[in-house]
Amino acid sequence: MAPNSVRQIATVIKYELLKYLRGRRLLAIVLLTIIISAIFLIVPPAIGTAYPKDPTDFITRVLSFLGVLSILSATFFGADAIVSEYESKTGYFLFPNPIRKTAIFVGKFIASALVSVGAIGLYYVIAVVSVRVIDGSIPANTGLSFAYSLIYLFAILAIAYLFSAIMRSSVYSLVLTFFTFFLILPIIDAVGSVAKFKPWFSVTFANGISQYIFQNPYPADKVFTTTAAGGPSAGVQTYSLVQYYPEIRLSVIVMAAYFVVAFVLSIILARRREM
Amino acid sequence: MYKTVNALYRQQQIGFLQRECKQRHAEKVSMMESIVIEHLSKKYGQFVAVNDLNLTVEQGVCVGYLGPNGAGKTTTIKVLTNLLRATNGKAYLNGIDVIHHPKAALEGVGAVVETPEFYPQLTPDECLSYVGTIRGMSGEAIAERSHAVLEQVKLLEVADKRTGQFSKGMKQRLAIAQALLHEPSILILDEPTSGLDPRGMVEVRDIIKGLIKTDITILMSSHLLYEVQEVCDKVAIIDRGVLLTYDSVKNLSAGQDVTVTITTLDPITRPEFEAIKALKDVTSVKRTETLALKLSFSGGPETQFHVLRGILNTGVKVVSYMPQRAAIEDVYLQLVPEGEA
Repeated sequence: MAPNSVRQIATVIKYELLKYLRGRRLLAIVLLTIIISAIFLIVPPAIGTAYPKDPTDFITRVLSFLGVLSILSATFFGADAIVSEYESKTGYFLFPNPIRKTAIFVGKFIASALVSVGAIGLYYVIAVVSVRVIDGSIPANTGLSFAYSLIYLFAILAIAYLFSAIMRSSVYSLVLTFFTFFLILPIIDAVGSVAKFKPWFSVTFANGISQYIFQNPYPADKVFTTTAAGGPSAGVQTYSLVQYYPEIRLSVIVMAAYFVVAFVLSIILARRREM
Repeated sequence: MYKTVNALYRQQQIGFLQRECKQRHAEKVSMMESIVIEHLSKKYGQFVAVNDLNLTVEQGVCVGYLGPNGAGKTTTIKVLTNLLRATNGKAYLNGIDVIHHPKAALEGVGAVVETPEFYPQLTPDECLSYVGTIRGMSGEAIAERSHAVLEQVKLLEVADKRTGQFSKGMKQRLAIAQALLHEPSILILDEPTSGLDPRGMVEVRDIIKGLIKTDITILMSSHLLYEVQEVCDKVAIIDRGVLLTYDSVKNLSAGQDVTVTITTLDPITRPEFEAIKALKDVTSVKRTETLALKLSFSGGPETQFHVLRGILNTGVKVVSYMPQRAAIEDVYLQLVPEGEA
């Protein structure tokens, strides 16, 4: 008799992790993490620049790549997780077994989350160890920053799974995931500054809390005013931009909502999808 | 604690299966019927892939599922293996509703649908271990059965090689191996010899023939009519989603003339020719070459044997004795309109 779904999920996780370990994507993300960390640590002394003396400045600088790393993890480990079973026909091997599609989906998601958390965790470990060695202390709120980063990671991973459950092609799903988080949402976030609306609903905007949490006091929204010559008839014109900062509580709720909604929707769509 | 929860879960599963069986019994569906399809329909928009299909496969019977491309064979098989949702109707495997309880229904089922791909990072051993664990087999049972089925499909030598470099034929063999791993009571095969070289086709046919000697139920779609006639007990022919006929090979073959080409060592003399023509059940004899003649007769394999013995008794030195067309092929060609195959 087939075991219960919990044991089957554990089996799916085991073999998904084995696939990741033998694939190139995990190696690529680990190498990328190490290389980026090394750049932040090697380049300043190489060009004769001192490290920031304030540990908070230092860790904020090192962790500035965190958003990109999260996006790459979601793209590599989530964007084609479902669609590939249909596109490459591996579903014909897995689905006609006595296992619920939900169990397969949950197992895959947990495996993707584990390797992504591993990559993000490695990045944090390198950052924390570096700042400890160089500046002698660990900034307050590092743990909170890591927690917020994980919520963001789960949110975008769930959205990547949603794209994967909808799209018919792995390539389209990979491209859509990457450009949504790397280009489309950041553009919306930037337009907010000019158009004077706070993009609190944007998951990439909300992710800012993992960086701003290091600042004391936590930054508040700021208005910048600049003047520019507008031509002979227009004269001098004044422009104002608003630097918006995500509110911690709202951002956590937004990211968690993205995770829950995307996760549930992707399970429903994956269950309904036919070979 | 975990074991207790697991035991409770198993009890629940057994209870569920027992209730399901009782319910099926109440519906007067015999448990001797391994596969029951009732009024099954599957539509893709306006296109009807399967239309009100009714089919019952008794336990231990091998059924060949025939039809032209797009007839609905693979769609039926996909519904039975939980790869597609039926639009209407019911389907039961070992008495369990596969549409509403696929996990329980697929317990005793092994399936090869189309030519499945395997995860290129995994070896055949790992692929079998994956599905074996999902099915609740113990580590020892998986190791033992993996060895047996990989040997059966001639993949033992590459058991620890990753499947990424496997040919289509090797993947097809591995698919058959995973379908047989848990010794299923029902085997559902979608064109099992597709992608195999001639030797591979013969070997897969031999595997299926070997399985037929056991109590396994087989539903096998195929384009190769001779293969179906050689292997299967019964034949179902479907076209445009509608079941055209479903009967035993013996019944379908009855009344169909079998044409056999005979080649001989020496030229056939006039008396020998007349003696062959006079054999019981022979309906026509025609000399095609000096050392070859074509004869037709009605009847099944037994008649075919008696005709051959009769020819040998005339003193003709027979070198080869080859049926030209399968009787099922005649039935198929009569039922399926031209241009659809």
